[in-house]
Amino acid sequence: MSDQKILIGERVLTREELFREAEEFRKERARFSLEEKIRILVEMQKLAQSFGGKRDVIVWEI
Amino acid sequence: MKNAIRVINELKERGLIKDYAIGGAIAALRWTEPFFTQDLDVLVILEEEVGEHGLIVLSPIYEYLKEKGYIWKGHWIMIEGIPVDIFPADPLEKEAIAEAEEIEYEGVKTKVLTPEYLIALFLRTGREKDKHKIGLLLEQAEVDREKLGRILDKYGLSERFRALVEK
Repeated sequence: MSDQKILIGERVLTREELFREAEEFRKERARFSLEEKIRILVEMQKLAQSFGGKRDVIVWEI
Repeated sequence: MKNAIRVINELKERGLIKDYAIGGAIAALRWTEPFFTQDLDVLVILEEEVGEHGLIVLSPIYEYLKEKGYIWKGHWIMIEGIPVDIFPADPLEKEAIAEAEEIEYEGVKTKVLTPEYLIALFLRTGREKDKHKIGLLLEQAEVDREKLGRILDKYGLSERFRALVEK
């Protein structure tokens, strides 16, 4: 059933196309600068602390 | 983070360490998509390897950091708001430091381990989270497979690597 189409917003994709796009998106994020990745990491730390309720998570000062 | 890197650079400038490189998750992050982590791992080559009783002595480093007002939080030393773990390098890590990539982080020079050495080091520790990072590196970083093979052979990690990728 790999050619099963999925409607996402206004786009129709197969499951395979969807996975390929997701993988490409992740590879694109891997090409961000380290500075940008650290900013994203700090946002994750804030989320883990507030939304995730993990009070012991240290949010970096950058 | 650049202020923390500046402080670590000071350790080298003041002769407390010979060299260092960023390792662990933050080094992996240099090559992969962003993922969650809590600390900054720093691998150091010490000026004096072993103290009186055959112990690896990190005291001069910690004394210096303590004098600058940095405090302990659990097993981390908090440097400029960043929890840092400092590890004395063993032979594999020393080689990794020597081969590390020089980068600038917000204009501050530092060194980061390359994907091949990170894979070897994550293989050696072998925790689930390390295996996950190996997967990310193999998928998203440009890994020099020949170089990786040489490192794994040299440090007896080839079999472990095969078992992991065949899984």
